[in-house]
Amino acid sequence: MRALTDKILLIVLLFAFMTSIFLIFNWVPPIKASNLSEQVAQKIFYFHVPSAWLGFLAFFIVFVASVAYLWKRKRQYELIAVASAEIGVLFISLVLITGPIWAKPVWGIWWTWDARLTSSLILWLIYIAYLMLRRYLPDGSKRANLSAVVGIIGFIDVPIVYYSIRWWETQHPKAVMASGDGSLAGPMFFTFMFSLATFTLLYVYFLRKRYQLLVLEDTVNKQFKEMEIL
Amino acid sequence: MRAALSILKKDLRMEFRSKDSILSMWIFSLLIFVIFNFTFEVSRLVMLEIAPGLLWVAFIFSGMFGLNHAFAVEKENGNLRSMALMPVDGGQVYLGKFMSVTLIMLLFESLIFPIFIIFYDLQLSFQMFLLIPVILAGTIGFTSLGTILSAVAVHTRDQQILLSLLLWPLVSPIIIWSVNLTGMVIGGDITQGFYPLLTRVIAFDVIFFAVSFMLFEFILED
Repeated sequence: MRALTDKILLIVLLFAFMTSIFLIFNWVPPIKASNLSEQVAQKIFYFHVPSAWLGFLAFFIVFVASVAYLWKRKRQYELIAVASAEIGVLFISLVLITGPIWAKPVWGIWWTWDARLTSSLILWLIYIAYLMLRRYLPDGSKRANLSAVVGIIGFIDVPIVYYSIRWWETQHPKAVMASGDGSLAGPMFFTFMFSLATFTLLYVYFLRKRYQLLVLEDTVNKQFKEMEIL
Repeated sequence: MRAALSILKKDLRMEFRSKDSILSMWIFSLLIFVIFNFTFEVSRLVMLEIAPGLLWVAFIFSGMFGLNHAFAVEKENGNLRSMALMPVDGGQVYLGKFMSVTLIMLLFESLIFPIFIIFYDLQLSFQMFLLIPVILAGTIGFTSLGTILSAVAVHTRDQQILLSLLLWPLVSPIIIWSVNLTGMVIGGDITQGFYPLLTRVIAFDVIFFAVSFMLFEFILED
């Protein structure tokens, strides 16, 4: 049943990604920009923003799973938290990579110590530290406890980090979803939402796969231990 | 509360006998000032602008000694386990450790601050007293998170590097605000934003403290 769900999910994902690539590069009309490179660079928006959203979703799941672990003490919650943290770091890494690729032609620089950029980098560092901590600890309930605590504190810190640098002048484009000037027009909005949904599906798929892999690792380790006893 | 106070008393007694933390923090800060002077040869005007940042760099880099030390000494003699076995709430252990780390750090800060004034030739004025609440709030934010993360890191193979990795990104909001506030005081322009910002730092100190206090129980248990 689980394998079947995964297969269906994978097929849906394949089609969804092909569709969203078609929508992004062929269907949605290009923006009015002064030069071609800016027009092309704008396409990255459909990958950049969904990745950022997924990063946040993933870290939120880390938080929820960490609280659940400390409450119920079930191994599965610990594994969900780790799997989600890894995926979150992956997606925020994508944000940090796609951002500069867009910024170079539009702003003329790869990186600037701007509020949004800095806070995303700090966010990334927080969860890198979370993963490092797990690497430095031997497997066991101690590791589960400590990483759950860091998972909780880390997520509480996220809004504070964003808040702390908000009052800097930001060059980063404003949240385009809000109504008013610069809000997304019809086709762009549709394409963006489609891309967002596709990426969210990808997260679900990744999370399932990574979780299954972690469970598998557990089983193998257990069998190894049993063999050693014999 | 009694358990927390006895941990505080023990830590302070240990510190005043050996003076390990304070001395190393103080010397290290001095080194930071010296090295900074070599690496960035800037004019006095620029120096004044970066002085607040430099002060906090010295505080947090040196503060790491105190934080690392706080739980490393407990681990050496298996004392961490005894603490876990104490018939009190884990929060009490946190409170005791937090108080001792904070007091030691504040003491160190008050000893390095005169040096800072002399090195960077700051003008002493009545306004400088505003630095007291600023440094107090910033330090408490740093140590409230630092104490719990030090207890986390002490269980790892390489606690010193890991504590920095964990603490610095998490505490960065507090440090950013503290540097801003310090800059306002040193630069002599207390704008309207000063008190709201200070209140904000204090508010987040309270949040960090409360969360750490509640979660500490889980760190002690095996």
